[in-house]
Amino acid sequence: MKILVCVKQVYDSPETLVFDEAAGRVTFGPHTVFRMNRYDEYALEEALRIRERLGDAVVDALSVGPPRVGKTIRRALELGANHGIHVQTRDETCLSAFDRAHLIAAASRGRGYDLVLAGIMAEDDMESQVGPLLAAVLGYGCATGVIFEELSADGREIAVEREVEGGSRECLSLALPCVLAIQSGINTPRYPALSHVLRARSAELECIEASSLAVPPPTQSLVCILPPAQGRQGEIIEGTAAEKADTLIHILREHSLLPR
Amino acid sequence: MSGRFFIIALHEGGRFREETWELVSFARRCGAADPVMMVLSDEGAIEQLACELAHRTGLDVVGLAGSHLRGYSAEAYIRTLVPFFRDASGKIRIAAAHTSRGIDFAPQLSAGIDACCITAVEDAGEGTFIRSLHHGRFRAEVRADRAKVVVTVLPGAFAPDDIAPGNPGKVGIVPAGDISLSTLSRGTRAPVHANMGLTRAEVIVSAGRGLGSGENIRLVTMLSSLFPKSALGATRAVCDQGWLDYSHQIGSTGNTVSPRLYLACGISGAVQHLAGMKNSGMIVAVNTDPDAAIFRVAHYGIVEDLTTFIPLLVDRCLKRE
Ligand SMILES: Cc1cc2nc3c(=O)[nH]c(=O)nc-3n(C[C@H](O)[C@H](O)[C@H](O)COP(=O)(O)OP(=O)(O)OC[C@H]3O[C@@H](n4cnc5c(N)ncnc54)[C@H](O)[C@@H]3O)c2cc1C
Ligand SMILES: Cc1cc2nc3c(=O)[nH]c(=O)nc-3n(C[C@H](O)[C@H](O)[C@H](O)COP(=O)(O)OP(=O)(O)OC[C@H]3O[C@@H](n4cnc5c(N)ncnc54)[C@H](O)[C@@H]3O)c2cc1C
Repeated sequence: MKILVCVKQVYDSPETLVFDEAAGRVTFGPHTVFRMNRYDEYALEEALRIRERLGDAVVDALSVGPPRVGKTIRRALELGANHGIHVQTRDETCLSAFDRAHLIAAASRGRGYDLVLAGIMAEDDMESQVGPLLAAVLGYGCATGVIFEELSADGREIAVEREVEGGSRECLSLALPCVLAIQSGINTPRYPALSHVLRARSAELECIEASSLAVPPPTQSLVCILPPAQGRQGEIIEGTAAEKADTLIHILREHSLLPR
Repeated sequence: MSGRFFIIALHEGGRFREETWELVSFARRCGAADPVMMVLSDEGAIEQLACELAHRTGLDVVGLAGSHLRGYSAEAYIRTLVPFFRDASGKIRIAAAHTSRGIDFAPQLSAGIDACCITAVEDAGEGTFIRSLHHGRFRAEVRADRAKVVVTVLPGAFAPDDIAPGNPGKVGIVPAGDISLSTLSRGTRAPVHANMGLTRAEVIVSAGRGLGSGENIRLVTMLSSLFPKSALGATRAVCDQGWLDYSHQIGSTGNTVSPRLYLACGISGAVQHLAGMKNSGMIVAVNTDPDAAIFRVAHYGIVEDLTTFIPLLVDRCLKRE
């Protein structure tokens, strides 16, 4: 069984973003810290658990992006992935979900993956597209919002539960190969084992130039970046911390929300 | 942008999702006065569903029918919709709600018909679509560079429009043919984690990842004990980490609540969380980040570190008594 996990590197906190007005772009400020998209941590953990259950599976971790994303691939190796693949772009140019799905498909074709795991969405922009688009490009089946999976004994199909509104679950089974977009809470991601950390330090990442892969012309273009539609509607309570506390207590008592 | 506009109406258990009527408003915002409603189901249910749509919206309806559409799967939807749209020429816009099912099939549908796909759309410009970026701090105005576009529209972004002033629209039922699927749907399981205490509470003190650790749950517990009919809520992030169990989760995949007071502590205000609490009477948020999205829905905002502010608040409240 060969499993591919798509891992995206995201910034840790949106507080470090800077809006470059002249260029009309959002850029990363100097204090930006990057890490693995949390949904991808769950996807990777699920892949590692499948490998442990089967005994003889291989887990590859792949990320598309500039050189900085190498660190996130290495993190996947520290957690236990067997092999890291870096589809390298030159700079911080923004790739759409369409581009990224085509790049991942081109890089993974011919490698015989039985199962591809992605996160249900990237925390930064929540497009939720890369997993299902990748499935469509590869001609694989796909389920999103996966909160439970169980491979059949013969390894030909996989039973999954998709989490939907209100926490209900839709139960499906899919033929392999397929793509699953994983929802958080499916498992509890592990901490890296020391032996894996040491191995990851010296492991070679397989590097593929994004420009060497064929991607169809873009489907969309960015017209402009705008501020949020709705400004702050309420009131920000000002003063020292103690004054803020007193003001809030006063407001809550006035609305008889807090007993006097 | 002219051309044809289709709305895919999603339904479960014989009922349309409420977002369906919001999509009608969205279509009009995009300049399409008379979008075509579409519904997919098995032969037994299609007539009734299609007629309900025609009555409620006054718009023309296309019902796509096949035995493979008895239960939902992305594959069933895509294999039905792709042949319908693939060879159509001219400009076509297709809208579905940004729900668990909408985002399940929309990207794959777009790939099958060489369309552009734009998800979580919350507004439309002149032939463009607008969506949030970077935790709601910015918005992007995006233009489609294909004749066909598939968009998913954020629930709640548009007011519903389901009161048809005139006559019902025309209904056309199209058999989708025999399609055998490789995905098998095995039904739905009810949520395991409903929490009646939350829906009855007058005050909900809710914890987010900003708590920093499971140990700090004691801070929100302490705060909530100041209020008589109160309960503890949480974001999914808090439940995922095991700081509170999932019965406390509020949001699109958790509980929906509307208490008189919602106190959000260390919560960023992701759309999926807001979906479960935005109708609360009064929303108060405590967050260190003055630009957090939660402050855009809060009636009162306090920019402070909750680890020091909550003890101070509790202390001053008790001292005054
Ligand atoms: C035309 C256009 C222009 C844009 N311009 C800007 C801009 O100027 N500035 C700006 O800041 N943003 C811009 N963006 C937004 C930026 O590209 C977003 O990061 C991205 O489009 C959002 O998709 P997502 O990462 O949320 O993917 P999702 O589809 O939500 O990701 C889901 C899953 O796919 C997998 N995945 C996603 N990406 C990767 C990857 N790189 N490698 C491996 N796996 C991956 C992961 O498993 C992830 O969990 C632009 C977007 C578009 C479409
Ligand atoms: C399909 C789907 C369904 C989902 N359903 C739900 C759902 O039902 N409910 C839900 O909640 N989420 C849901 N989510 C997840 C959602 O997108 C967010 O990831 C989640 O709500 C974030 O939780 P948070 O606000 O606690 O964490 P974060 O977004 O990490 O925010 C933490 C906040 O705490 C602040 N903070 C940090 N330190 C402090 C401090 N010391 N004092 C004060 N403030 C501090 C930070 O500034 C930040 O704003 C869903 C996601 C998907 C993909």
